[in-house]
Amino acid sequence: MSSILSLDAVSKRYGAFEAVKDLSFSVQKGAIVGFLGPNGAGKTSTIRMILGLAAPTTGRIEVLGADDGRKVRDRIGFLPEERGLYRKMNPVDAVAYMAALKGLPMAEGRRRARALLEEQGLGEALKRPMKALSKGMAQKVQLVSAIAHRPELVILDEPFSGLDPVNQQGLERMIRDLADQGATVLFSTHVMQHAERLCQKVVLMARGAKVFEGPVAEARAAAPRFLVLEGGLDQAAIQALPGVVEIEPTEAGFRARLAPGAQPQAALKAAFERGLDVTRFEAPEPSLHDAFIVLTGDDR
Amino acid sequence: MRRLLLISRREYLAYVRTVGFWLSLIALPLVAVGSAFFMATMANSSEAREMAVLDLSGAGIQADFIARLNSPGRVEVVATPPDLAGQTEVAAADAVARDLVAEEGGTLDGVVILTPADQGLAARYWSSRTTDETGQAAVTEALSGLNRTRALVALGVDPAAVDQIDATPPQVTVLSPASASGGEVSLQDRLPGLIGFIVAMMLWSLILTGASILLNSVMEEKANRVLEVLLSSASATELLAGKILGVALVTLTVLLVWGGFGGMALAYAARQGGDFAPALSGALAGLGRDGLWFWLMAYFVGGYLMYASVFAAIGSFCETPREAQTLIGPIMMVLVIPVFVLQMAMRDPDLAIVRSLSWVPFFTPFLMSARAPSGPPLYELAGTLAVMGAFIVLVVWLAAKAFRAGALSTTKLDWKGIVSLVRGGGA
Repeated sequence: MSSILSLDAVSKRYGAFEAVKDLSFSVQKGAIVGFLGPNGAGKTSTIRMILGLAAPTTGRIEVLGADDGRKVRDRIGFLPEERGLYRKMNPVDAVAYMAALKGLPMAEGRRRARALLEEQGLGEALKRPMKALSKGMAQKVQLVSAIAHRPELVILDEPFSGLDPVNQQGLERMIRDLADQGATVLFSTHVMQHAERLCQKVVLMARGAKVFEGPVAEARAAAPRFLVLEGGLDQAAIQALPGVVEIEPTEAGFRARLAPGAQPQAALKAAFERGLDVTRFEAPEPSLHDAFIVLTGDDR
Repeated sequence: MRRLLLISRREYLAYVRTVGFWLSLIALPLVAVGSAFFMATMANSSEAREMAVLDLSGAGIQADFIARLNSPGRVEVVATPPDLAGQTEVAAADAVARDLVAEEGGTLDGVVILTPADQGLAARYWSSRTTDETGQAAVTEALSGLNRTRALVALGVDPAAVDQIDATPPQVTVLSPASASGGEVSLQDRLPGLIGFIVAMMLWSLILTGASILLNSVMEEKANRVLEVLLSSASATELLAGKILGVALVTLTVLLVWGGFGGMALAYAARQGGDFAPALSGALAGLGRDGLWFWLMAYFVGGYLMYASVFAAIGSFCETPREAQTLIGPIMMVLVIPVFVLQMAMRDPDLAIVRSLSWVPFFTPFLMSARAPSGPPLYELAGTLAVMGAFIVLVVWLAAKAFRAGALSTTKLDWKGIVSLVRGGGA
């Protein structure tokens, strides 16, 4: 697959503060990529540079074959972190106006707006002013306005924030549909579950720098594995199991952290061989959240 | 261009679709008509002051003075009340006069007691009010005329000749080669100057209105977080230019409607006959002479563009009127200066200070609009326009840069912060 977006050694400096440091990553056509990181990691600054809203201090960005996002703005859909639409406009006019700015004829924009808004369950609110809509409804309208012109690249900055679980699920479905229709989606979030369910690839940022780029499974592998052991167990015996580097007591037993590369099966085998009274043994797969904590250094 | 037109269309419709716009549109003509009606009613309803005269000068000039003081609609001299007529001493006459004009029980608006003076005659004017400029002026005028006539008669001039001279108004004919006829200066020649002043004041108020609309519009978009979305769809220059054009169309709509009302008023006035109709048609023809319309339009457009860009850029840094107030204060101070200078320009458009300030781009649109009808040299018209044009290019470029930086900034800023953000290339 060809690369639709690539950043090469990009940095952004505001006075003495370096918001983004030597950032390089690429996004393949048709992929859903999670752009992850804690608050202040440099995600929004990076997105603004991709869109051409801010110039990189150093480095090079290529988006949809152009060296400046502004040159291909009609082919990009963008949902900013802080949502905003005209309060007195109704959803159909708001979506059609934003789509018209992207080059879609107004009449076609209105037609698509109605169809997309009805798909999102906003059929009853088509003629209501934006200020009369709930936060969730307004957010859906904003999202629809970002995609009504059928962009090739969709950039969503924290799209799940402020949505209830049902609407979050709807948004996940919408993102999958976009990718199914051939669009490439890059979204930033600090809620790992969404990225885990949606992304083929994630880029993790911390303190302005990239700390990981690759498939979700690979990111998970960076997280330490834990064993959950329950029964009539002795702390010293658990500590002595192969690969165990640290243990902490739980209500019914222990939670043991394994050394990188250590196999849970080896610890289980040793426990049986040593006749330990194990009534429950579990080696859960590490979550992206665990990896996020480790990779971003938030566990320190 | 497509985006620019879309943005201006939305901006225009957002304003003209509000009830408030149409209310304010018809409010001014209604207020103007109402004020004119009110002032006419006031003028017609003003009552003449009732005065009595007592001559203690010993010169026997009571009848002559009364003839000069009597003025229909202004002063009505009534028969001297008996208790006043019987007085021969000033102090006693003062006491009676005081009662006659007293707030309680008084029957007259004024009493004039004529007394002898070192040179001619003097008057003691008792008035029911402390501020009675009309009465005081009428007494002064009558006494001045009487003293002059008496002095001339004393020198042997025939009183009839003095009356004849007084009754003949001085005839001064103002001539100028710059007048429409090439000779006598008429109302037709004076109207363009007045129109220039009116255009300058209109430009001043429209700039304030238009720029304030822009400021509020940008501020609202910034507060509602619309600006960032718009900037991902259009360039800062397109956005800024679109908004400026949209609001310009709003002000143009206002101008057209007000112009329509004004045209109807002028047509009505012209139908009343007199000198006005030919003077007006001559003045309008005069405006077309020497491309005056072109100069006025150029200053108008340039001035609006300059101030609108600055106000819009400031709006992009603000989310509340309070934030805007701090930044807009210095500009408002600059905008007050031409109002004072315009009054000087109205009296003498070629004053050195007016001519010098005309070259300052911030003042050029107002001062040159006022001066243009009086026919300044072509190099001043073209030169000030060129300097202003170059300055506008710089202002719009800086405003677009500031607009982009402001739209994406999240911190509260002062002027110093704005300058550093703009120099830094945005947020």
